[in-house]
Amino acid sequence: MAKYTPAPWQRGSTRVYALFLALPVGMFCVFYLYPVFETFVLAFQRWDGLSPVRTDVGTANFLALLGDSRFHTSLANNLRWLVFYVLAPTGLGLGLALLANSLVRGKGLAKFVYFLPYTLPPVAVAAIWRWLYEPSAGLITRVLDEVGLGFLAQNWLGDTAIVTYSLMVSAAWWSVGFSFIVFFAGLQNLPRECLEAARIDGATAWQTFTKVTFPLLWPSTAVALGMSSVDAMRLFDIVWAMTAGGPAYSSDVLATQMFDVAFGRLKMGEASAIAVFMLFVSAAVVLPFIIYMARRVEEASNDN
Amino acid sequence: MTTEQSASWLRHGFALAIGLLMAIPILVAINTSLKTPAEVLDVLSLPASPTFANYAEAWNRLGATFANSLMITVPGVALSVLVGAIAAYPLAQIRGRTGFVIYMFLLTGMLVPYQIVQIPLFSLMRNLGLYNSIPGMWLVHVAYGVPICTFFMRNFFASVPRSMFEAAMLDGCGHAQYFYKVLLPASGSGLAALSVIQSRAIWNDLLFAMTLTSNDSARPVTVALNALTSGFVVQHGTLMAATIITIGPILLAYLLFQRAFVAGVLGGSSK
Repeated sequence: MAKYTPAPWQRGSTRVYALFLALPVGMFCVFYLYPVFETFVLAFQRWDGLSPVRTDVGTANFLALLGDSRFHTSLANNLRWLVFYVLAPTGLGLGLALLANSLVRGKGLAKFVYFLPYTLPPVAVAAIWRWLYEPSAGLITRVLDEVGLGFLAQNWLGDTAIVTYSLMVSAAWWSVGFSFIVFFAGLQNLPRECLEAARIDGATAWQTFTKVTFPLLWPSTAVALGMSSVDAMRLFDIVWAMTAGGPAYSSDVLATQMFDVAFGRLKMGEASAIAVFMLFVSAAVVLPFIIYMARRVEEASNDN
Repeated sequence: MTTEQSASWLRHGFALAIGLLMAIPILVAINTSLKTPAEVLDVLSLPASPTFANYAEAWNRLGATFANSLMITVPGVALSVLVGAIAAYPLAQIRGRTGFVIYMFLLTGMLVPYQIVQIPLFSLMRNLGLYNSIPGMWLVHVAYGVPICTFFMRNFFASVPRSMFEAAMLDGCGHAQYFYKVLLPASGSGLAALSVIQSRAIWNDLLFAMTLTSNDSARPVTVALNALTSGFVVQHGTLMAATIITIGPILLAYLLFQRAFVAGVLGGSSK
């Protein structure tokens, strides 16, 4: 067997590759690694964010959180959001994709409209929904009044018992487009033969879906679930812009509490302790997904 | 009519109803933005004669920050896409362990919730003298875009036939020359799709802007809209006009480049 000799252009490539990578990797280190490291350091200190003095306080920040009822609410809300984000936009997105895919006419229009809210800034979504939820003149209360169901009207964003669910409805409207488009693209790429074969064998629509379509859609499902959980852990804008965590901290999530403790109250150490906590929860949820995605990309490029 | 036909009619009707339901929030916002303060109180009515007074008032409050958003977004998108492509090139070329490890290293950025870096980032940007400045926002958006842009462009480059690279090398091209003169011009669709999703990410950003800007010299329109929304002094008509102004450019981009938008969102999340 002939000995492998690199082609002339492969010699010296390593140095060129290193030059290409220097800037992005450098930025990554300065803006991702360093702040994460610094957050870990700050979590064991007391600091107001401006003064040169940072006092070591050991684990006091973490211990304070354990006994803080606001933190308990935020954490519980974050877990609710995680469950909600993984189920609702993914399930609704799948439903919408199956519906749109079954249309003979208007497929393009359905795709355009169903995906549209996902393009909007969360702040704008918040502004619009605050108006829809307005307790006396807002659309939702008015429509309930018109159809004689006025007794169902609530103070949608002002009632501590329901505010998180109101936020979830607006978040679902905003984010369903993402899962929809992932499933819709997945459906378009399904091998036609399998569906034909199922039909010829006399499978019912339900059988075709559970035995053929859904298993073949698994890659789309993995993406929709994974990205939804990333979004759930990063949830901030919609909550911040709609209620800022209120009323009485009832709609707080870890991110909004952290931001308020840091930049509202200037307790950087305590906020960093919340951040450390968020990172661990997020890593536990998201890491398996990232490994899965990277493997798939690797397999795909090895097939070339 | 057969059952199959009526089922099809039913599906189309249902799809249309859901489409309308999903469009309602935006339609209500547009409707409200064209009303006088008295008309706003009846959300279900149409304006007697549409007024643009709300837009004039909203523009007074947001105009400066709208310009900031453009100044932040356009260069921010161009630079982040370029840096992503630069990182992606060697990672798509190197076969084997080293490339994969560096690639995974950059991808771990995707699991970092942006909120947790805000405190050190705030100090870092102040020390660099880039707090409350538009170039500072470029830098931040480029840096935090590295994982997603690298991921996206690496996948795109991996689909470019390797024979193109070998032909260029045989013709005596260097790596840099191949990258700028051959690969980038041949990657138009990928660059366009990534540009569109980066535009969405940067234009829509609220968090980084809240941490890193403090007044109208650098503050983007999202922060200004948030301030209007959470204040209680502004009319709903004006607020909805401000909202429509804020979503205008991104809506326009979606109308014009729907295909690139969808390709970008799909490409940013999967192979």
